[in-house]
Amino acid sequence: MRTILGMTWKELLRKKVMLMTLVMTAVFLIAFWFVAAIVGSSESGRATSIMNGSNLIESFTTGTFILTMGFFFGAFVIAFLAIFSSFSSIAGEAEQGIMQALLPRPLPRWKWYLGRWLGYVTLGIFYAFLLFAAILLIADAHASIPRDSAALIKAFLLFASLVPLLISLSMLGSGLFSALGNGVFMTMLYGAGWLGGMIDKMSSSLGLKEEAIHTLHNLTGIMSLLMPADGLQQKMTAELFSLKDLGGMVNMSTSSFPLLDFNSVPSDSFVVYAVLYTVVVFAIGLLRFQRKDL
Amino acid sequence: MNVPAIQAQLLTKEYSNGRGCRDVTITVEKGEAFGFLGPNGAGKSTFVKMLAGLIRPTSGSAALFGHPIGTLAAKSKIGYLPELYRYQEWLSGEEVVRLHARLCNIEKSVADRRIPELLKEVGLGLRGRDRVKHYSKGMQQRLGLACALVNDPELVFLDEPSSALDPIGRMEVRTILERLKQRGITIFLNSHLLEDVEVLCDRMALLNNGEILRHGKVSEILNKRTSWHFKVGGFSPFLLSWLKNHTGLQISQAALDKNQDEEGIIVSSAIEGSTVWLEAEVESDEQVGWLNSLMIEQGLTLYEVSRKKERLEEWFLDAVSGLSHRGEQE
Repeated sequence: MRTILGMTWKELLRKKVMLMTLVMTAVFLIAFWFVAAIVGSSESGRATSIMNGSNLIESFTTGTFILTMGFFFGAFVIAFLAIFSSFSSIAGEAEQGIMQALLPRPLPRWKWYLGRWLGYVTLGIFYAFLLFAAILLIADAHASIPRDSAALIKAFLLFASLVPLLISLSMLGSGLFSALGNGVFMTMLYGAGWLGGMIDKMSSSLGLKEEAIHTLHNLTGIMSLLMPADGLQQKMTAELFSLKDLGGMVNMSTSSFPLLDFNSVPSDSFVVYAVLYTVVVFAIGLLRFQRKDL
Repeated sequence: MNVPAIQAQLLTKEYSNGRGCRDVTITVEKGEAFGFLGPNGAGKSTFVKMLAGLIRPTSGSAALFGHPIGTLAAKSKIGYLPELYRYQEWLSGEEVVRLHARLCNIEKSVADRRIPELLKEVGLGLRGRDRVKHYSKGMQQRLGLACALVNDPELVFLDEPSSALDPIGRMEVRTILERLKQRGITIFLNSHLLEDVEVLCDRMALLNNGEILRHGKVSEILNKRTSWHFKVGGFSPFLLSWLKNHTGLQISQAALDKNQDEEGIIVSSAIEGSTVWLEAEVESDEQVGWLNSLMIEQGLTLYEVSRKKERLEEWFLDAVSGLSHRGEQE
């Protein structure tokens, strides 16, 4: 299994997937630095050495806004890295004939599958850590950010949980569909989950009737159950800012934060559901691969 | 107990489109070279993939050296060169072989010694350091052979091992396979290159529409008819009549260029002047000697005598002619 894991790392590095991702991330972070600087400089009282309570809250609100922007984009990058690194892991290699040469070797298929999964997940989480830390550091340079280490760790785990979720789903799809078909399937599914989240965030500000909002919530609920990525992202932001503890001190209305709806943060049960979803999808993918004819 | 290298009992794989293979029963002994022939789409690769553990059989059973197919014990004894394959183009040839060595749990020190030797043996040599993406199809085939042999297998499955090679490459691969055979390694050869099967294999089977049509020893198939060719000078039709009457054997003028009309009658016989090829069907080698002496007694000049072997290609075409075969169509 370690051999397959090492092969997967080598593949992502040699194919320059990680290099391209890191280069584009550097471009994003540079742009993000300037955006954060502009947003941060517009905050009154930022320059004062001793902040009063009002300034502190204002600085924190600005930091929240910058971080929200950063993680909104960061989640996209993480998701697409996870999807596009693994969408052809089975179908693509079977179509090319790579797998036909490897699998007659005395290696249980589950070890091959787990090795590939671990290879993608470890690199994805490593990248997620770099991105998470970079976004925090940039936001910290221009505004106040949360410093509670427990909140930061929870937020990172939720941020990085996108990686195993999407890779499990992508590898399952790769065992069911062609490489191209799976790429389209995964992009559409992720897009549907994201759209569901956006509708959920916007529905309260659209002035719709209560019945219509109820129906919309049902639809977006189904979408987030099918693709819990956006819900995890919402939960991650809530944990990062410890919203429960702020007790309304910070104005986080939808008009101030159009990318987030702090009033509909997923519950802990949703996180448990997402973890179980990942485990079940991984298990189905593994069982499917065990019986796959190549 | 002498366990066969391959023992397949009514092995069947049925696909929804009607393809696959049905009730294939064969036994290949240790050290044997077995040729598996058949038209395109006959189900040969499906059968080999089942033995290599890539496809699950619909019914039937098979074992390699007594271990059920698909098990790690069975897989640890084989080397497999698939028909349609590519290797990781982002690795070098040497890295690909090393990857296979690791998957076979070969110790690093053994792999370090064996991999350069193998790359040299298959004709890649120092090109093994190049990335696979720079390899031609022939080089990939050589690499595939190196991968198949890296674990020093007791049984090698070779699915069209020479299909992408030039004539020199084919000869080199044949030499490698002959060496493997001399070392007692069992060879299961799927090939359209009937000449390879003819030279290398002890036994063979012919698959058509997923079912075994014929099987047997290659030597018996090729020597079913015992005909001899005689290149003689000073020939006349009168002498041919005399030889036929005197010996009671089937003797005719023959053309070794095999130019035949639609009814199979030899139409080109003369080489130059009165020098011709004669073909005689005999029952024993003694009759050949007798014919030699009679021809010389009658004043014919005997230039060359050779046994006519039926080529495998003729046998193959004869076996499948007139039969429906699904080919590569729907």
